[in-house]
Amino acid sequence: MSKTGLLSQLRRGYDGMRSDLEDPDVSEIGLKKRRFRLIVIFGLFMSVIAFLISISISSGGVIPLSDSVGSLFSSIGKALHGDGNLDTIEMYIFNARLPRTIAAIAVGAGLAIAGCMYQAVIRNPLVDPYITGVSSGAGCLAMAATALGFSIPFLMDNTLYVIPFMAIVGGVIAFAITMTVAEGSGGSSVNYILAGIIVGFAFSSIQTVFMSMGKDYLTDIMWWLYGSFSNIKWEDAWIVFIPVMGISTIAMVWAREFNLYSMGEDQAAQLGMDVKRFKRMTMIVASVLTSLCVAFVGIIGFVGLVVPHACRMALGSDHRLIMPASVVIGAMLMLFADLMARTVMSPTELPVGAITAMIGTPVFAYMLMKRGRSYGG
Amino acid sequence: MADDAPVLRISGLVKDFDGFRALNGIDLEFGKGLMVGLIGPNGCGKSTMMKCISRIHPQTEGTIEVDGKDISAMKASEVAKIVANVPAEAGQTFGISVMDMVMLGRYPFVDRIWWENPEDERITREALRTFGIDHLRRKQVALCSSGERQRALIAKAYVQEPKLMLVDEPTSHLDIKYKLQVMEYLQKMARSDMTVVVAEHDISLMARYCDVCVIMKRGEVVAVGDPRTIITEQLIKRVYEVEARVGFDADGEVYMLPKRCLEDCVRGHRLHPSDPGRDALPVPAVSSPFSTPEHLPNGKKMYLLGQVEALDE
Repeated sequence: MSKTGLLSQLRRGYDGMRSDLEDPDVSEIGLKKRRFRLIVIFGLFMSVIAFLISISISSGGVIPLSDSVGSLFSSIGKALHGDGNLDTIEMYIFNARLPRTIAAIAVGAGLAIAGCMYQAVIRNPLVDPYITGVSSGAGCLAMAATALGFSIPFLMDNTLYVIPFMAIVGGVIAFAITMTVAEGSGGSSVNYILAGIIVGFAFSSIQTVFMSMGKDYLTDIMWWLYGSFSNIKWEDAWIVFIPVMGISTIAMVWAREFNLYSMGEDQAAQLGMDVKRFKRMTMIVASVLTSLCVAFVGIIGFVGLVVPHACRMALGSDHRLIMPASVVIGAMLMLFADLMARTVMSPTELPVGAITAMIGTPVFAYMLMKRGRSYGG
Repeated sequence: MADDAPVLRISGLVKDFDGFRALNGIDLEFGKGLMVGLIGPNGCGKSTMMKCISRIHPQTEGTIEVDGKDISAMKASEVAKIVANVPAEAGQTFGISVMDMVMLGRYPFVDRIWWENPEDERITREALRTFGIDHLRRKQVALCSSGERQRALIAKAYVQEPKLMLVDEPTSHLDIKYKLQVMEYLQKMARSDMTVVVAEHDISLMARYCDVCVIMKRGEVVAVGDPRTIITEQLIKRVYEVEARVGFDADGEVYMLPKRCLEDCVRGHRLHPSDPGRDALPVPAVSSPFSTPEHLPNGKKMYLLGQVEALDE
């Protein structure tokens, strides 16, 4: 036990679990706790690896791992002491790759957990984080800002923030309309989907109008529509990272409630849960999460739909395991997708959204074929 | 039984849905350890009454007291500790395992976030053993047979350790063996001082297992009492508009055999008891449902309908 590495410990944990499964008196909660610890350890381990790879490789070339780690710590140290004299590598890592990596982790985790929440609450497997029209609303106002050359008085000197700001406003407006329509029609899950779809259509059509008005900015618009981390600065990274991690933690606290809710509203209500309030709260939380992600990096599909499903297939139905796993897998998928987006056709960058789908689809198709039969009851 | 306060006391219960009166002044009172059967046609208010008692629907008028406490004044999580509800079907279960589903019944009792206490797990495992589904605990609910699923649903209500258990059509998808098995489990629970209220359509089954039967029609109680005395041919005719034969078998158990619908489904008006109804319809001239075997060239026999002889061989 003392001299084993992380990987062999992971393996021992898993094998141990398998032998425990034979024991009729083993505590099922104990097994679950162990699986949870395993997910956290594995997740942290893989995240650190992905993080190091991500800061070491980019379209600019590969920096040896020792140099990049050294520069990372020295640049953070200098930044903490207010020392502005960074050397080239330090500057590159600290100002370009680090914020980008942090944003990728946050957006991947945020979209995955938002998708997980929506799927549990709406109880429909086709649901993704954009189901409440958030992406279209955000896209619409972001397009408007680009096409009409908006500037907001108190953010005048900082045009960088106009688009994300407008995107958040658009996302929240779209969600508010969806929620009003859905609650006005009784607030059932199907009504949420229908309301979200029509609101999404409405905003997409307006978005198309703005797109044709702003022909000169088509490239910018395209970047936003397919998602990209290329314009992420430190300021953006924090604005995404801190709220997303905070909200995800809050969402995970409700894991047992999600388990209960996924059994159906009547059953949940009978067991003493305030069903209406819970649904409203989770819808708001998940939509804010999605708006935040969409605002800074654009619309990245696939992660929010497929990561929760993959976790459900691999780990079962308990949200206490699915939710942390979704956070970890979502973050990792996004990190690797971003890494590929900026290196595969370097120096040309590719849209992240396309890459997430390209990596994710074969993996998911394989899982579906292997586990799909026992999934989806 | 008499010295205790009634486990369930309903007085003047009224429930309206958008102008439709589903329950119209129900008064009932049941003591501890009784198995109560709710009988009545579809839409007579059985399920609505159960949902009112478990606080899924708030009542329009009247009071519901469980164990001497008015449930409309209680928090939903407190009601969940004394009233449990077994739904007719599990619904969409999202790949949940049997044990996880049963353990959800402990939700009102778990006082911390995330993990259940060891005590909750102990109670859950005990319930799984009681209902004979412990070996299925890691199986997905969706992959279980109807009988196993129904037992899991009952186990989920059982771990709530309620004073009152409401069971809605527990045997609707089950074959005769599982029907009896489920009713026996419910009766066992009633005998262990839990009051069990079952809504069900199989009148003979209810008459056999229930201590008290409540007959309902259009949101009102028509009769309450010992099934052996209240279930009569007149009552069935009045409640269901069906002519039935009610009798006692050799063991003294009541049975009910539906014979004839007193509503003419073809012409859409109510039949007078003397009207021959369906019997007056022309009977097609078929002498026997089985045709005579045709001999095939290879020497085997072929039957057009059924394989009666094959069964005998």
